Amino acid sequence: MSTAETATDESGAGEQRSGAELAARTGGLAVLAERAALPVAWVALIIIYSITSPGLFLTWSNISNILGSQAVLFVLALAALMPSFTGDFDLSLGGVMGLTAMVVGVLNTRHGMGILPACLIAVAVAVIAGCLNGFFVVTCDTNALIVTLGMGSVFTGLIYFLAGSNTITGIGESLSRATFTTKLLGIPVEFYYGLVLMLIVWYVSTFTPLGLRALFVGQARDVARLSGIRVSRLRWGGFVLGGLIAGLAGILFVGTTGSADPTASAPYLLPAYAAVFLGATTLKPGRFNALGVGIAVYFLATGVNGLQLLGAANYVQQLFYGAALIAAVVLSRQLRRRT
Amino acid sequence: MDPATTPGGQPPAAQSPPDRVPVLEMRHITMRFGSFRALKDVDFLVNQGEIVALLGENGSGKSTLVKVLAGVNAPDAGAEMYLGGRPVPLPLAPGQFRDLGLSFVHQDLGLARTLTVAENLVVAESGSVHSRRPINWRAERRRIRRLLDSYQVTIDPATVIDRLPPVGQALVAIVRAAEELRAYRLRDDVARSILFLDEPTVFLPESEVEFLFDLIRTVVREGASVVFISHDLSAVRTVCDRAVVLRDGEVAGRTALAGISDERLVELIVGQGAGKRVEFSHRRAGDGRLAKSLFEVRGLRGGRVADVSLDVRGTEIVGLAGLLGSGAEDVPYLLFGSAAGAAGSMRVDGWTVSVPRLKPFEAVHRKVALVPADRRRDGIAPALTVAENATILVNDEHTSFGRLRLRRLRKVVRDLLDRFNVRPRDPGAPAWQLSGGNQQRVVLAKWLEINPKLLLLHEPTQGVDVAARAQIYRMVRDATDGGMATLWVSSDFEELAAVCDRVIIVAAGLVRAELSGDEVTEEKISSAVYYYSTDAASVLADEASAPGPDHTLGTEGRHVDG
Repeated sequence: MSTAETATDESGAGEQRSGAELAARTGGLAVLAERAALPVAWVALIIIYSITSPGLFLTWSNISNILGSQAVLFVLALAALMPSFTGDFDLSLGGVMGLTAMVVGVLNTRHGMGILPACLIAVAVAVIAGCLNGFFVVTCDTNALIVTLGMGSVFTGLIYFLAGSNTITGIGESLSRATFTTKLLGIPVEFYYGLVLMLIVWYVSTFTPLGLRALFVGQARDVARLSGIRVSRLRWGGFVLGGLIAGLAGILFVGTTGSADPTASAPYLLPAYAAVFLGATTLKPGRFNALGVGIAVYFLATGVNGLQLLGAANYVQQLFYGAALIAAVVLSRQLRRRT
Repeated sequence: MDPATTPGGQPPAAQSPPDRVPVLEMRHITMRFGSFRALKDVDFLVNQGEIVALLGENGSGKSTLVKVLAGVNAPDAGAEMYLGGRPVPLPLAPGQFRDLGLSFVHQDLGLARTLTVAENLVVAESGSVHSRRPINWRAERRRIRRLLDSYQVTIDPATVIDRLPPVGQALVAIVRAAEELRAYRLRDDVARSILFLDEPTVFLPESEVEFLFDLIRTVVREGASVVFISHDLSAVRTVCDRAVVLRDGEVAGRTALAGISDERLVELIVGQGAGKRVEFSHRRAGDGRLAKSLFEVRGLRGGRVADVSLDVRGTEIVGLAGLLGSGAEDVPYLLFGSAAGAAGSMRVDGWTVSVPRLKPFEAVHRKVALVPADRRRDGIAPALTVAENATILVNDEHTSFGRLRLRRLRKVVRDLLDRFNVRPRDPGAPAWQLSGGNQQRVVLAKWLEINPKLLLLHEPTQGVDVAARAQIYRMVRDATDGGMATLWVSSDFEELAAVCDRVIIVAAGLVRAELSGDEVTEEKISSAVYYYSTDAASVLADEASAPGPDHTLGTEGRHVDG
């Protein structure tokens, strides 16, 4: 290599370095603020509500209520996280959850099947639903938004077909015991199920080669394909795992309510995606991450719970979830535009 | 390179006569992408009726400057722009250039590829007159046919752009720009118009280049000015009056073309002291017949490739030269399994596979590496960190019980950054913060880390500065010396001449000639490429019913038998 090249290289590199240092100096604090924004907002909400609703909000029974009652949403949000990792959407997950719940209810009450086999079959149905999504979206190479929207409607139709438009009640007590009525430190055990699931997802997505490959597929699909990553297989995996976890959410749903209501699952999809996108603005801004989803779910739950304690009507919940989803998407878009 | 020390760094006083106001004047244009400054305080002016060449290497900032005028790039605060002395606030809105009398033929031509020729030409016009009338398509098609005839371009207006050969596409883009200029002349709010041609000669065979030059001269006669961006110095000398040279985002010099030698011009473009563009003379002796071929492909077909067979021996760099559209650019993707092959079989280090059945996963598993041309889309994940980008292929080798050994991976990355001289040495930096050259070093580091048997390179130095370019040459050569087979596909013949042991000429999807030993020079490669591409060009010309180019170019390339 000639001396001229070396000289050029060093001066060019020096300039590059000073540029990066400058960016780090001016951006370091902003990055930290960005990462901590959601947790800080959560703590602020807690402080505000405990002042405005003294003796109501910050009680053990209310905290246990927030943590326990949102376990279904928590798990469904983790389900929505799966296809998000690999850069896809699955809008049928609410339907998958409802279908699973309905299958458990029908098998248990009308066919007298035990709770355990009923749950296993129901989860298998959820996995099949995920496979169908994978087939239509990945193998047939179609738009995930539209196809899963259609699949969601198909699943909802199946729910009504199975239910005969009635709420199924009288589902085995053992399921409620295993999820909702048994408490640990005053909190229903299903919260801990969600917590364990979140930690597993976090671990696999952060500390394994599989998680990194999924990250590449989600962030730069063409780069992933030209790096020999099996993109289709991972996207399939996202849909199937999403279906599986949505199925688990459906089981928790039956356990929590003790019944299978054909209309009850639909309102869960939007807050689940709100949590996924809000979660992507925190801890690791710009990336979907499991811990962020956990924080976001309980941020949303706290917000709604506090407003209800203040006497707000039910519609406030819809307003709050919708506004949170839009805020999250706008924020993450701003994050990305800056890069 | 410090611009203050180069003689060209100090721009001479503006060359406009005092009695005339420049048509376009741009001052203090600085453009940032992340921490990378693509343009640094650039001043640029165009006088009435002038043909200005905008010169500079890939990545020197030419296209960035043009995109500021097209309203694509928003420059930093402090930038000023004047049209005929009248200030225009920056940044420009998209499409505003039409109100300012500017017209562009971009490098990528900017045509809607799935629409027809007529649709492309009509959309451009209706956009310029804010028409609300419904479009009578039958009348428009007739009108467009007459219009194309008037430019002696015979293309069916109903053809979809994607079905046209590259030449045809370029002609449509040029006709569209010329028509835009004509429309400007009919408007009273546009005093002067300027045509920007970004690398217009790349797609054009010799005969059509003359057509382009005639068009440029006509445009200027009719009162417009032209900015001509090109690497092709002889074309520049043929049509341009004056040149502005950009280097590393700064104006390296302004000069009249009449009084300057080619050497001096190249020196301005490349930088003082570099002399030749890239110092690289590590070429091995041409005769490598002793080594066994490590890689063979037979009867490759797919995309624009009709039938390609070739061998590459271990420790050998073989170049694949061809014009855009020759099929050469499809070969690496076919051999990696990322583009669907129709036929052919290949053998890498004793492993044989049928190309149509090859998948990228399998290719990587068998240690075939691919450095794609479109780095921003295919090569690097901009939102992910340098470390993540560099180790995605090997991270599963650094695990214990399925868990990534992060500390060991960090060490691997630090070694890689040192070895490949990536700046900044920050594994946690997001990849978009790096300059093009450093991004490409990361891509190369990522692939060489798997110790490939076959390295496929497609335009590996596109948009890369000179220093990084020389380093990339050296890295590939070093890795190849270690026993690897390298196939280097490039339309930069100077580059092929500098790095390759052998060069294979591809035209119309076929292997047409092979150069080796002393024959591997830029002149011989380009004359062979153009010679063998002419019959392809005449086929295209037949489609366009234009007069075919003559076949008088000579070549020293020898035919490949069989």
